[in-house]
Amino acid sequence: MAPFRVPPWIPALFLAPALAGLLVFRLGPILIALVGGFTGSTLRGETVFVGMRNYADLAADPSFWSSVRVTLLFNLIINPFQICCAMGLALLVLRPTRGVALFRAAYLLPMTVSIALTSVIWTILLEPSVGPVNGMLKALGLQPQPFFRSEGQSLVTLILVCTWKGAGYWMIFLLAGLLAIPRELHEAAAIDGAGAWQRFLRVTLPLMRRPLAFVLVADTAINFLLFAPAYIITHGGPAGSTALLMFEAYQAAFALLNHGRSLAISTVILVIIGVIAVLELRLFRAAHERTG
Amino acid sequence: MAKIARRGLGRLSLAAGAAAALGGTPARAQAPTTLKVIWMGWPDNQVNPLMEWFEKRNPSIKLAVEKIPFNQIFQTIEVRLQARNADPDIFICDSPLTASYGARGHLMDLTPHLDASRFAKSALAAATHEGKIASAPFGSSMQVMFYNKAMFREAGVAPPPADVAQRWTWEKTLEAARKLTDAAKGQWGYAFEQSERPYQLLPLGQSLGGVALSQDGFKASGFIDGPAFVEAYTWMQRLYTDWKVSPQGQFDPNIPVEMFGNGKVAMLVAGTFSVATLQQRFPSLDFGIAPMPYFEKGKPVTPTGAWHFAINPRTRNQSQTLTFLRDFMTEELHSLWFKLRPYPPVLKSIWDAEKATFDTDMWRIVRHELDNTAQPRPATPGFREYEDLVRVALRDIQTGADVKAALSGAAQRIDREMQKYR
Amino acid sequence: MIASPARRIVLGALRYAAMAAVAAVLLLPIWWTFVSAIRPGGEIFRYAADVGWRTLVPERLTLEHFRTMLASDMPRAISNSIVVSVVTVVFGTMVNAAAGFAFAVFEFPLKRTLFAFVLLTFMMPFESIVIPLYTLVRTLEWTNTYAALIVPDLANGLVVFLFRQFFLGIPREIYEAARVDGASWWTIFLRLTMPLSGPTIATAALMQFIHQWDAFFWPLVAASTPELVVVQVAIARNITLEQANWGGLFASASTAILLAMIPFLLLQRYFIRTVTASPDK
Repeated sequence: MAPFRVPPWIPALFLAPALAGLLVFRLGPILIALVGGFTGSTLRGETVFVGMRNYADLAADPSFWSSVRVTLLFNLIINPFQICCAMGLALLVLRPTRGVALFRAAYLLPMTVSIALTSVIWTILLEPSVGPVNGMLKALGLQPQPFFRSEGQSLVTLILVCTWKGAGYWMIFLLAGLLAIPRELHEAAAIDGAGAWQRFLRVTLPLMRRPLAFVLVADTAINFLLFAPAYIITHGGPAGSTALLMFEAYQAAFALLNHGRSLAISTVILVIIGVIAVLELRLFRAAHERTG
Repeated sequence: MAKIARRGLGRLSLAAGAAAALGGTPARAQAPTTLKVIWMGWPDNQVNPLMEWFEKRNPSIKLAVEKIPFNQIFQTIEVRLQARNADPDIFICDSPLTASYGARGHLMDLTPHLDASRFAKSALAAATHEGKIASAPFGSSMQVMFYNKAMFREAGVAPPPADVAQRWTWEKTLEAARKLTDAAKGQWGYAFEQSERPYQLLPLGQSLGGVALSQDGFKASGFIDGPAFVEAYTWMQRLYTDWKVSPQGQFDPNIPVEMFGNGKVAMLVAGTFSVATLQQRFPSLDFGIAPMPYFEKGKPVTPTGAWHFAINPRTRNQSQTLTFLRDFMTEELHSLWFKLRPYPPVLKSIWDAEKATFDTDMWRIVRHELDNTAQPRPATPGFREYEDLVRVALRDIQTGADVKAALSGAAQRIDREMQKYR
Repeated sequence: MIASPARRIVLGALRYAAMAAVAAVLLLPIWWTFVSAIRPGGEIFRYAADVGWRTLVPERLTLEHFRTMLASDMPRAISNSIVVSVVTVVFGTMVNAAAGFAFAVFEFPLKRTLFAFVLLTFMMPFESIVIPLYTLVRTLEWTNTYAALIVPDLANGLVVFLFRQFFLGIPREIYEAARVDGASWWTIFLRLTMPLSGPTIATAALMQFIHQWDAFFWPLVAASTPELVVVQVAIARNITLEQANWGGLFASASTAILLAMIPFLLLQRYFIRTVTASPDK
């Protein structure tokens, strides 16, 4: 939709409360944090300007690069995976037949469990020696798995647990988008002879462009900022296999008491998310231009 | 157009009014002083009685107590202290963090206000930073070995004696554990309560003569990754990977006690406080207590540490905080605290006053350990860094990593972080 | 291609089977939580490793955990969290929707820059801004007040983004027609755009509600006196080193989960197909 040109004070009034809030409570502190990446502090709390030293230290630290790899790998898998799951769920519960409302509510239930609580519960469930999931596997005659306690499985298990919680959440947004597509368009396409998959590709997806853009960018940001399970369940391990950048930033601040380092890592996270978000938005805008 | 402008202004004034209404009201001169206290999130019935006792004694002082959950308390305190203002007035301080807070200027010197001679030796050592008493000891800790009498009877194994003179070695413990482990029934012979924490596991290496950190508190390489610790943790790793007598990958410190209570673990080295948990939640459990084992060719070493509290040097209520300090160091309060949560007392007089209470197997062991074998964690301003990095190494060791590599990696990172304190 | 009745039935059955399978995976952990809340404390872990029907169906039931919970700070925490969440949703939705509307409908200088700033606000880790934020809140003298819990979270970049995306989908013709009729932009926003955005508003409301309901670290830092305790902090206080009140943990967790479902159920009716107004209506 092409926007309207109006005297600037009109959008100003619409924007004022939100922008004021964001400026004071988010952008201000973010600016301070970004500057903080270039500082260190003395033991007595005085801030000293150290230039690029924090970043140089990070660049020379193999565990930082390992963390970057783990984070990128994690996000490369989890973002498309979660969105596909969410889209699948949304399509599944789209048609309001009997009892579907119950399923919709059921799928939302994991969303009501906070991420910290999710971590606590799943730690117990997936305990290799005493957890019910392995108990069930044993009862079924299958091999119990180490899950979070093995280098090979921990990241995948993390992805699955986060998807357990997030699929229902993103489903809501996609459902809202799907419901905004007029039924007439689907019927017209069906009459024209398009099969279900065709209709999905040609009718649904293009019209879901904006909700999908939102879900992708928002999910990307949230997953890059994910921290609680890596802290509570695995503490970055085993052997750094779940040492997400956000976990490293938190550890730098609260375990290593090195705030300059923590803020430098946070800035790196911000830049990565920003770059990927811009690419994602471009991707969806380009698609729009292609279909006209 | 005018409609929008009015709405906009209306929303602004609404927000301002709300802010004023919701914000703090100015203090009146005659109101009692309020001390802001950050306390550990122990259950309400263990915290409130202490605070109420104090407020009754001192009607002109009110306590605003924040009870922070254990998993967040250090981080929350960090954020508050980083802001370097008058809040909080008083905060809980895990004993080894005294040096860390002290080095960064967060502790008021308490030396003139405390009578050092009243305190147990180990508690005082942990409270001292640069020759001054910087935190107030509040309750100590000690570990013992719990064992399930029924499981021992069933397996036909003689249980460990409570007499410290006949203390079991780790080797003997392993022997018994192997007979008591039954994978098919989900029974484990042995478990550590805090299987990834330096608090519980440093004594293993120290038992073989290892020193956890250099004397000056700044160098870990050559110490935590020295031969004693490598040997000790290699042995520990085999509990999980080779002999399989302990449940691998079980890091939550609250679950082994549950398993012990449910008869799934035969021997458990845990804090003395677990007695209360076991008695309340598993009243039918028949368990005994023995001293913590040691390595045959080494010496017995047990962990200890204490909860202290500290006063913010930037407080605006100096005299009130000192009143709090004085009252919280009385025998009356320490007695009350002991009844609520039976940590080993830090005041020597409590041990003498309550002889009957302490005349049990467990307390006799505890007294002996505190006087003879207890070793607090290393004193260093970089304690937080040290503890977390060693913890990660211990987790990885339990799940099968190369012991020397894990410890050396941790040591190198610790040394790097210690730079800022030199 | 219209499906034959037989094919329809099979597809329908498959659909329900799939929905049920997914529901099982998503619900079993939560069921386990509920079940642990009503069984005696000592039994919670007894059937964890030895999986049997008893793992999921308790033999002995008890309400003691809930009784203890009601006597603890949980009721206070629930009422605090409800107040904070509802106020945030009510005011936050208006504030963020207005901003989203501006970004979708108007062209103005610095629009792209401002929108970039809006996106920026949810891309920075919260832990990195918590100290300056705390200092700010302290300077405003809002520590240990509802203001600290509510005001910083009213403006929400993610919610602005959400509204902007969905508002972009409303056809220009609708606005043109309204402008021709002489409506002010505020009227258009309130009377035209918002009513057409039922699902979006519901979604935004749920987002903000959950954000506040799940809040944990910020309340600890900024407002953790007993009068202001929030739900997640009250739940977390069941776990201490050397003493975990598992029954209390699961009871309060279950309560928090069930209460959080209420807004979802209330807002379910907005998740219906909206009739898109076509130009000739």
